[in-house]
Amino acid sequence: MSGANSPAEPPHIEWRPSRAWLAAALPSIVLLLAVFAVPFLLLTENSFRLDEGLGQLSAEFTLSNYISFLTDSFYLSMLGRTFLMGLVVVLACVILGYPVAYFIARSSGALRGLSMFLVVAPLLISLVIRNLGMFPVLGESGLVNSILMSLRITSAPLVLLNNMIGVEIGLTHALLPLMILSLVVAIQSVEYDLELASASLGAFPIRTFFFVIVPLTRSGLLAGSMLVFTLAISAYTTPVMLGGNRVLVMSTFIGKEMLTVLEYGVAAACSVVLVTVTLLLTAPAARSRKTT
Amino acid sequence: MRTIFYSFVALVYTFLLVPVVMTVWGSVATSPMLTFPPRGFTLDWYRAIPAEFFAALTVSLEVAIATTVLATIVGVPAALAIVRGGFPGRSIVSAFCLSPLMVPTLVLGVAGFQFWTRAADVIGYNITGSILGVVVGQSAFTIPYVIRSALAGQANLDRSFEEAALGLGSSPIRTFFTVTLPLLAPGITSGAIFAFLMSLDDVPIALFMGGGAATTLPVKIFTSIQFSLDPQIMAIASLLMAMSLVLMIMIEAIFGLEKFFGIRKSSH
Repeated sequence: MSGANSPAEPPHIEWRPSRAWLAAALPSIVLLLAVFAVPFLLLTENSFRLDEGLGQLSAEFTLSNYISFLTDSFYLSMLGRTFLMGLVVVLACVILGYPVAYFIARSSGALRGLSMFLVVAPLLISLVIRNLGMFPVLGESGLVNSILMSLRITSAPLVLLNNMIGVEIGLTHALLPLMILSLVVAIQSVEYDLELASASLGAFPIRTFFFVIVPLTRSGLLAGSMLVFTLAISAYTTPVMLGGNRVLVMSTFIGKEMLTVLEYGVAAACSVVLVTVTLLLTAPAARSRKTT
Repeated sequence: MRTIFYSFVALVYTFLLVPVVMTVWGSVATSPMLTFPPRGFTLDWYRAIPAEFFAALTVSLEVAIATTVLATIVGVPAALAIVRGGFPGRSIVSAFCLSPLMVPTLVLGVAGFQFWTRAADVIGYNITGSILGVVVGQSAFTIPYVIRSALAGQANLDRSFEEAALGLGSSPIRTFFTVTLPLLAPGITSGAIFAFLMSLDDVPIALFMGGGAATTLPVKIFTSIQFSLDPQIMAIASLLMAMSLVLMIMIEAIFGLEKFFGIRKSSH
């Protein structure tokens, strides 16, 4: 999902506007009803049914899945863990992404082309493969640990896989390019003259960065953060692969309920909660972009 | 100050690229997996890639081609209708067609599985666990991607070319096929390539809607590493990356990667 990009209003054009065009849109509408809208409605319906074991659902409706979600500390702590994970990933992406975005936005020619290419290229490599590549980096005798140990920073290898740290590193790696893209666009729109003015008035580059660049790129920062946060809390592949089935967040829990526990009602309720949270977070951002 | 800045930037680039390097390196090393630095050189792991991985690659390509073709055939006319049509509720149609992109793919997969297993009682045939099932599941996001790309393509379209063609007496249908469609080709192509890539990338939907003979390569890698991590997996992963690289160079040559990603953002 990449909902942050709201669709452009269709431009008004006076060329053969006719109701017959509806026929051209019909196949898409019918297909999306069948593969998306109706399944999603059924999912919502199932979320109001009780699990009776082995994927069977009760005939009558109940709110109990949602009530236990709001009262059971198991679900609430899982929701909290999921949000915390999202925040850590956003923070990591901001800290790592800003300098790179600045570097790209203020470079030109072949250097800019190459530095942009290296950021975007990982997006075209399958996520599963990028996660796979984290194993030799984060493993017990992997790249990070062998560097840390040879520099005598740690005496025993750090555990960076099959836990939350591994998941957060993996998600940061997966989503950092999106944050950088979002920030590059924002930084580019800041006139370089403003930085020169700030410098000529005696501000150090760091001061200029925090008092000129960051405030002026606030909207890009916000859009990038929202995108990274919503994608992080709903990601499934990376938390399973790098969490080694030991990290329990919303998405991995839903996967477990579907594949091993076979409680489709609970899985449906958690899915609805996840979608609701995502929509609540992205809708205001999309609206504010429309007005500006 | 300057040095610190450039070193930091270099470090972040290292972070971005190091998993890719380590995968390829691990696929040709003779030393045990996951030790650093990998030592030795061999191509044996490539020869030892199990046949089931190639079978999964075939499934992946079949699914990706099918869903991309389907999405392009139904998505492009819908995008044209949204921009040019005179029917009421165009903006609702547009919002509806793009709404699946607001939903995490995990949820699309869960919803698809629950719906089609229930629908099996009615239609007498369960599409989950088949290639058709994966194609149906993934169409929920490939169709919106194609539509979004074709909408963006039309927003940048200079209508005066069409007006000129019509003004010079060309029929509307002829104008459409000789002027409009060629002008829209880049937007349509980039939407199709993007849908194809997202299909190849997808795990959650392919996991829930596929399985068995309909196991795609990402799902195969995803499930097998939960039991063991072999250098053969690094080898098939390197082959897949080589495919991506070819595609990437093609995109860079045709559109420019930056522009390609400028109008849309990836999803996982």
